[in-house]
Amino acid sequence: MPKTEVKIIGFLCNWCSYAGADMAGTARMKQPASLRAVRLPCTGRVNPLLVLKAFREGADGVLVSGCHPGDCHYNEGNYYARRRLEVLERMLPALGIDPARFRYTWVSASEGAKWADVVNEFTQQVKQVI
Amino acid sequence: MSMNDLIPAIKKVLEEVDVVLGWTRSPAAGVAVPARFHTPDEADGAIFDSTCIHNLAVHLPRLKNSKVGIVAKGCDARSIVQLIVEGEVSRDRIRVIGVPCPGVIDVKRAWRCYGFGKKIEDAGGRVHMEGRSVPREEILLHKCHQCRDQEPVIVDLAAGDVTSMTPPPPPDKSGIRERFAAMSITERREFWREQFSRCIRCYACREACPLCFCRDVCSMQTREPHWTGGQVNAIESEMAQQVRISHMAGRCTGCEECERACPVGIPLMLLLEEQNKIIEELFAYRAGASLEDKPPLLTYDINRDGGWR
Repeated sequence: MPKTEVKIIGFLCNWCSYAGADMAGTARMKQPASLRAVRLPCTGRVNPLLVLKAFREGADGVLVSGCHPGDCHYNEGNYYARRRLEVLERMLPALGIDPARFRYTWVSASEGAKWADVVNEFTQQVKQVI
Repeated sequence: MSMNDLIPAIKKVLEEVDVVLGWTRSPAAGVAVPARFHTPDEADGAIFDSTCIHNLAVHLPRLKNSKVGIVAKGCDARSIVQLIVEGEVSRDRIRVIGVPCPGVIDVKRAWRCYGFGKKIEDAGGRVHMEGRSVPREEILLHKCHQCRDQEPVIVDLAAGDVTSMTPPPPPDKSGIRERFAAMSITERREFWREQFSRCIRCYACREACPLCFCRDVCSMQTREPHWTGGQVNAIESEMAQQVRISHMAGRCTGCEECERACPVGIPLMLLLEEQNKIIEELFAYRAGASLEDKPPLLTYDINRDGGWR
């Protein structure tokens, strides 16, 4: 029996994804209320432990989103993040966490519609496995 | 290997260093124990045999202010290289004495099966313990089965022919690794809950690990940031271990010291081996394989990264 309400923690970079999410909000795009956003300066700030701790504290899903590679406000933060998050994602099955509950993605400040899609899709995906 | 090569090598290295890390025989248990040799006389007690399981590289970051010689197996040499790559140990302060290693015996397992403190003798492809004997392959440490480091990465002085060693025997196929690989994700979650419920938070895993060099600022214990509490329960202990494992990404050389040091026998290597495999797949990087490599998570490659999915 899939859960109807899920809690998703989103770690969003200040410069792209947070602005993109803001845009989706001001444009009144339809998106589930499942996501709790945490604003960070950059995805380079995302310690993989933030994700693991969120899971431990009871999050159903964790979404990390930042600027597209090449567009980082700090030039290279998301390049480092991409490597760490990929290792983390592949480690999750061994840790006993379904990798479908985690996603990292790139959404720019102008992609409000894409943001709504990402949240919708990811919420559905999390509901399937919870 | 005879001690005829090792003892003179240690004496020679002692001419230019303050202390040599090696092994001597424990009079009580008959197996090798780590020892520090300061003088040529002390070095006469040095041994190397297949009970020399310890990774002595763990002492290097704590001996930063002295010149140190170290007796190293191929796998230990990788930990030393990784410490140099991470900037924890400076290359010109250490002298590595390479020893040819035929694979080491899992002493803890041998004693658990055949009686604690039994004298262990390794001869003619079999391991003898007071009357009983088993084939070597059955009692080797797991890492020795997949050994790819028979030739040490750095050697200043070789004690014996470090390049001519027998190939490792095939890995054991019935162990916990196969059972773990066959588990579903939910079963693994339950598995780790059960395993970590036995953790007593002694931090032996951290203390035995050559690459856990943060010492007093270890995130497994700090209040700020407060990743995990000090309560001894499965949830906190699991988080504490996740802290350690994530910090080992791109560092772990797979020496198995954490698992060997664990007093309650939590199979930590299941996680670390998996992570090492992922790092090697993604970045073609093996920790400690070369002095020139850059740790994969401290760098990036715009052209190649991201093609993973």
